[in-house]
Amino acid sequence: MNDKKGMTLIVKTITRFTVWLIMLYGIYLIAHGHLTPGGGFVGGLVIALSFIHLTLAFGKDKEVKVPGIHLSHSLEAVGVLIYIGLGIVAMVAGLPFLTNFIGKGSLFDLFSSGTIPILNFAIALKVSTGVFLAYLLLVLIEHEDEEEE
Amino acid sequence: MNLYMMSFALFLVGLYGVLVKRNIVKVIIGTGIMGYAVNLFLILIAYKEGATFPILLPGKEQTIMVDPLPQALVLTSIVIELGVTAVLVALAINIHRKYGTFDLKSIRRLKE
Repeated sequence: MNDKKGMTLIVKTITRFTVWLIMLYGIYLIAHGHLTPGGGFVGGLVIALSFIHLTLAFGKDKEVKVPGIHLSHSLEAVGVLIYIGLGIVAMVAGLPFLTNFIGKGSLFDLFSSGTIPILNFAIALKVSTGVFLAYLLLVLIEHEDEEEE
Repeated sequence: MNLYMMSFALFLVGLYGVLVKRNIVKVIIGTGIMGYAVNLFLILIAYKEGATFPILLPGKEQTIMVDPLPQALVLTSIVIELGVTAVLVALAINIHRKYGTFDLKSIRRLKE
């Protein structure tokens, strides 16, 4: 806790309390995306902001594990593949692309509306890792600058 | 109509930042303000007097709802604006790396 990396002790302590609430709110937005305002994009942004919050507070030390560049890139590709795969599964069943082929359930239930929550999850995976990857790459440019000097 | 003129005034504030300011960071903030003004204008076009948000909820009466199409358009616009801002910030970081300044008037070695 006394090392020079990251911000001061106050910021680190407050981050330990708040970052779980931010991440939990993002998961809530994704899970209720087909019922209330929100959805995969907004929830993914909130989760990416929680990762950026951790990286800003703790610096580059390995005290807290956040996804690196390679893992973020892989997860981003997995999100797109889930989305396209669901569309192609509907085509295999003889329906148009991205048709909602699972039973829709009753209105206003948490587990309802067929494939829409899965698509929300795929979008959230894509957006959260994509935004975090953009942040990591911008930090990397600055870090290379310091190494050259 | 007053609200439309006010969002146009906000657009002009962003345009002033892009055209007049010399710091690259302030230019990037000006482009962001211009984008927000356009998004606000599109949302205001779809607003109706006394209408509610276009989402069904249990126990909510079915009344007039605002048009959800401009809201979806604005969501896409926000995403594109995020990508443009990321590219502009990367360009600004590279300019600061090469010239050591954010001042637009000090960059005079473009022909080398």
